[in-house]
Amino acid sequence: MPTGSTPAIDPVPRRATRRRNAERLAPYVLVAPAVLVVVVLRLYPLVLGVNFSFTGDGDSDGTAVGLDNYVTLMGDPLFVGALRNVGLLVALLPVAVAIPGLLATFIYLRVPGHRIFRSVYFFPAVLSPVIVGAIFTLLLAFDGPLNALLGSVGLGPVDWLGDPDVAIFMVVGVHVWATFGMALVVFLAGFATLDTSLLDAARIDGAALPRIIWHVIVPGLSRTIQFVFVTTMIGMLTSMFGLLYVMTSGGPGGATYLPEYYIWIQQGQLNRPALASAAATVLFLVMVVVGLLQVSVLRRSGRED
Amino acid sequence: MARVSRWLVAVPMAALALATVYPLVFTTNVALKTRREYVLDRFSPADSPRADNLSTAWNSVGLARYFANSLIVVLCAVALLLLIGSMAGFALGRLRFRGSRALFLGCLAALFVPFQVIMVPLSRTLTTFGLIDTYPGLILAYVAQFLPFTIFLMASYYAHVPTEVVDAARIDGNTLFGVYRRVMLPLGTPALISVGILNTLFCWNDVLIALLVMPSAEHRTLMVGVTSLRGQYSDDIPTFAAGVLIAAVPMLVIYLFFQRQIAQGVTAGATKG
Repeated sequence: MPTGSTPAIDPVPRRATRRRNAERLAPYVLVAPAVLVVVVLRLYPLVLGVNFSFTGDGDSDGTAVGLDNYVTLMGDPLFVGALRNVGLLVALLPVAVAIPGLLATFIYLRVPGHRIFRSVYFFPAVLSPVIVGAIFTLLLAFDGPLNALLGSVGLGPVDWLGDPDVAIFMVVGVHVWATFGMALVVFLAGFATLDTSLLDAARIDGAALPRIIWHVIVPGLSRTIQFVFVTTMIGMLTSMFGLLYVMTSGGPGGATYLPEYYIWIQQGQLNRPALASAAATVLFLVMVVVGLLQVSVLRRSGRED
Repeated sequence: MARVSRWLVAVPMAALALATVYPLVFTTNVALKTRREYVLDRFSPADSPRADNLSTAWNSVGLARYFANSLIVVLCAVALLLLIGSMAGFALGRLRFRGSRALFLGCLAALFVPFQVIMVPLSRTLTTFGLIDTYPGLILAYVAQFLPFTIFLMASYYAHVPTEVVDAARIDGNTLFGVYRRVMLPLGTPALISVGILNTLFCWNDVLIALLVMPSAEHRTLMVGVTSLRGQYSDDIPTFAAGVLIAAVPMLVIYLFFQRQIAQGVTAGATKG
């Protein structure tokens, strides 16, 4: 890769040539800081991390241990639980995409109050997962307001964040509450590019809304839907740390572990960076596979239409 | 849709809108109550709204310090992101030079490397350079994290600037740097504002990177500080709520003023990608 320094070869440089040289190098100078940062702090660490996952922790720091870390991971109920939770997220993904999609459809069709809905729905998206998590920890506490409300209508208290079968759904639900506005805005931008003549034709024919959605809107927005699927999945796999950290700390009994939380615990708390690197490599592979699968599935279903 | 069914849809949507706003309204109300009031009735509006909890959270809990930490780091990181990102965005989006395509694809590839995946080696690298638990360390970590996205948006914005604009400026005797400074920076203002606000949100709201890179108590950012409140004030909910509210206010203000720019930034990836 060319560098930004200009070699001073000519002892009596003519200004014109010098300037031309400088001009030729100028684009490289403009990108140099960005390339330096991205390569040193984003791409190189990826290589380093994958390498690192094949070495040992503690006493065997730096020595090659082959696949030992991966074997350890697969034998760790916390990590296996984290992967099972990823499966759950994938299963819930269509719901997390359909909710903003449907709401965007109604807003696009101008239900009464659509302007207000649009900006109100988006607002939790600007709040940090830490803030959102803290607020819902308050609301969902065992002796908190939600249970007080349920108690007043005679329903028994639910340990929203303390029951292993309930907690993960609560965390995912709060994540969806906080982020559906982002996907909604993306859907609305997609609607702006939708060919309205088909929509009008379907309406004149008196087609029912579900048919319009399925036969006109879904095919027309296939690219947007694909984008939302991928970004929602990435969001679920990489931006729930704040919620987990504040709401459950991975508990109860590891029931709300996700790979990103596992990586953090191994690296930050238990000082097992090599094991954490192996978990990170698995997370990366999961993301690549899920991303490719979704793109190919959606592409195929798009072709059938 | 028929008239009646429109209203049938609007009612649950209004309920959802309430559910979207209510948690923050509830928190605000709690922050204005005394402990006694909260224990007696969690939902009733605060009798005589008081700022006591807010000042406790700000002063004795130490949120003022955390707030300053966040402000320093976020301002520096966003300024650097805009500078480096717009330079690279101009070069990669508007200029054709040897290797430009490969460099752009490299930046795009970095977009798909989440922080969790590189956090172990990154923290090692930062330790090597003595940057762990320093402001420059966290600023650099944020720049690295959000630069690919910034470059991508700036490049796709500058790609729509007609070539004639660049050519005309060069005929006027500008060097490429002159074109960047005198033409591209002013032209890019709308995109810079949009990207700058999004980056401010990302950096301000982050907790994982801050926990990893600047862990010591005196260096806590506001979000890390809020997470530490939870244990300390588990029996003083109103003070806890006040801390949460203080941490949320800056982004709520930004949302009120720049809602359109945020939405533009979020959707740019979808429509141009």
